[in-house]
Amino acid sequence: MADAATANPQLVCLGLNYRTTPVEVRERVAFPEAKVPEAVQEVRSLPGFEEGVVLSTCNRVELYATHSHADPQAAHEAMVDYLVRRFELAPEQAEALVTYKLDAAEAARHLFRVVSGLDSMVLGETEIFGQVKAAYQKALEAGTTSRALNKLFQQAFTVGKKVRNDTTIQRGSTSVGSVAVDLAEKVHDLKKCRVMLVGAGEMSRTCAQSLLSRGAHSIIVSNRSHERAVEMAAEMGGSAIRFDEWEACLHEVDVIISSTSAPHFIIKPELVREVMRRRRWEPLLIIDIAVPRDVDPHVNDIEGVYLYDIDALQAIADEGRREREKQLALCERIIEEQLARFGFVQGA
Amino acid sequence: MPPDRQLLLLATAAFLVAVVPAVRALLSGQWRTSRQWLPMLAGFAFQTGAIFLRGETVKQCPMKSLSDVLVFIAWSVVLLYFLVGPAYRVSLLGIFSAPLVSALHVLAFVLPNAFPDYPGKVKIDPYVEVHAALALIAYAAFALACITGVMYLLQERFLKQHRIGGLFYQLPPIQGLAKAIQRLVLLGLILLSASLAISFKLTTPISNPKLVFAWAVWGLYAVIGLIMWRHVLSPRQTAWLAAVGFVIPFISLWLVTTHG
Repeated sequence: MADAATANPQLVCLGLNYRTTPVEVRERVAFPEAKVPEAVQEVRSLPGFEEGVVLSTCNRVELYATHSHADPQAAHEAMVDYLVRRFELAPEQAEALVTYKLDAAEAARHLFRVVSGLDSMVLGETEIFGQVKAAYQKALEAGTTSRALNKLFQQAFTVGKKVRNDTTIQRGSTSVGSVAVDLAEKVHDLKKCRVMLVGAGEMSRTCAQSLLSRGAHSIIVSNRSHERAVEMAAEMGGSAIRFDEWEACLHEVDVIISSTSAPHFIIKPELVREVMRRRRWEPLLIIDIAVPRDVDPHVNDIEGVYLYDIDALQAIADEGRREREKQLALCERIIEEQLARFGFVQGA
Repeated sequence: MPPDRQLLLLATAAFLVAVVPAVRALLSGQWRTSRQWLPMLAGFAFQTGAIFLRGETVKQCPMKSLSDVLVFIAWSVVLLYFLVGPAYRVSLLGIFSAPLVSALHVLAFVLPNAFPDYPGKVKIDPYVEVHAALALIAYAAFALACITGVMYLLQERFLKQHRIGGLFYQLPPIQGLAKAIQRLVLLGLILLSASLAISFKLTTPISNPKLVFAWAVWGLYAVIGLIMWRHVLSPRQTAWLAAVGFVIPFISLWLVTTHG
C-alpha cells in the first residue's frame, strides 16, 4: 500500500555486515565493483526514492538513500525487497537476511562510525575510509546523489579525518603481521628491506605478505621441502634457496622470519655475531614465530640485533588493541559532537 | 632591557611553546609535525632579530662573549634544523632541538656578566667573521648530531626492550638515525675544516687558545668520523660518542670565551 509522501527527503540506511550476517550470505548479496553504478541507479529508481549510494566491501553491504515516504518502514521494506529481487534470494534466504535499518540521525551516526573505522572488524582500520570514498564517487559519477547525500558524505569524510587526527584510534598494530611491519619500519627503510623466510609456515607467509604489501624490497624463502619454498616464493614474487644455504645468505637480509619445526634453536649467537660482523653493524630484525623457538634468546643481546618471538609479537598486538579500545570513547564523543554540529541531534 | 634581549626573551618563549605542548602531545601519541613548525619559525625570526640588533649594538658580528656565542649556536641549531630535518627525514628533530635551544638561551641570560658591551672593532676583517661564524655553525651541526644520537639511543632502547608505543611510533628508523648522525658529523667537520682553513688567511690575529681548542674539537670529530666511516664501533657506540662528544666543544667555548 502506498504511503503519503513527505516534503523533505528522509535519510535511510539499510545494511548488513560481518556482525549481523555470516559470510555465506554476505557474499551472496555483495555487489561486484563493476555493478555498483548500475545498483545505485536501481536504488534511486525505487518508488519514492531520490538519491542512492551503495557501499559494498568484503565486510559489509550498505545502501544509503533519501526517500519521500512518510513511513520510514516502507522505505526499508522497499530496500529489502530490492536486495531480494536483485540477488534472486529464495524465500528462506530472504527470511534469513538480517539487516539493520537506520533512519535520519541513526543513519548519519552509523556512516560516521563506519568512515572512522569504528564499525570495522579491526577497530580503527583506515582502509574503509577509502572504500566509502570510492562508493560515494561512483554514485556521484552515476548522478544518483543530490544535496542531501552529497552533504552527508562530505560531513562523514570530515568526521573521519577529525577522528583520525584527534585520536590515536588508527595507531599501533593489532595483528602479528602488522606488528612485524611496524618493527621492520622502525629498523630499516622498508623499501630497501630484504626479507628471508626460514621455514614456509602460514604465519610466516602472513608476515611476509604484510611486509611486501607495505613495500618491502624482496623476499627469499628457504624451507626443508624445497618445492614448498619454490611454490611460496613464486606466490610472493621472491626467490627460493635450498635449506642448506640459508645460513650463508643471512648477512644479505635485513629481516629474518623464522618458523621451522626444528625441536632446538637453529639461529644461535655465534652465527648471528658472524652475520653482524659481515653486515658491518647494519641492524637486523629477527622475528621468531616458531614454537618451540628457532632463535636462541641470547641473540637479542648482540648489538644491532632485535629479536621478537611470538609471545612478544602477540603482547604488542594485544596492547595495540587495548590502546585502540581506550580511544573508542573519545571517538564516539567526537562523532556525537559532529552530529550535533551538523544538526542531526540536539547539542549537549 | 635592551631591545635585542627583549627579542631573545620572545624567542625563548617561542621555543618553550614548541617544547611543552609537543612533549605532552608526544606522550599522549597525538603529535603532528605541523604543530612544531610555527613556534620554531617564530622563535627563529625573533632570534635573528635579536642577533641583528645585538650586532648593531656591538658594531660587529656578536660572537665575542659566551652569552653571544651560545645565542649564535642556538640560532645555527634552529637554522640547521630547518635545513637538515626535512632533508634527512628526521622530522622529530625539532622536538629534541627546542629544549636544547631554550636551555642555551636561558644559560646565555643567567651567565655572570651576560651580554657585556665590548668595544667595536676599528676595522672588520671579513675572514675573521666568516671563520668564527663557520666554526659556530659547525658546532651547531655537532649539537644536532648530539640530539640525533639521543634519538638513536632512545629508539634502540625501545626496540631492544620491546617497548612499542608512544614515542616509538614517532621516532624514525634507527638505520636512518645512524646515517643522520654520520652526515651531521661530516657536515660539522666540513664546516669546521673550512673555518680552520680560513684561519690560515687571517690578517687579524686570533688569540691562540681559540685556535688550539678549535683544532682539538676538529681532531675529536675527525676521530669520531673515522670510527663511523670504518665501522670500528657499533652504531649504538657511535651514537653515544656523538651525544657525549658535544660536551667537548661546549666546554671549549666556555674556556675560550671566559679565559681566552
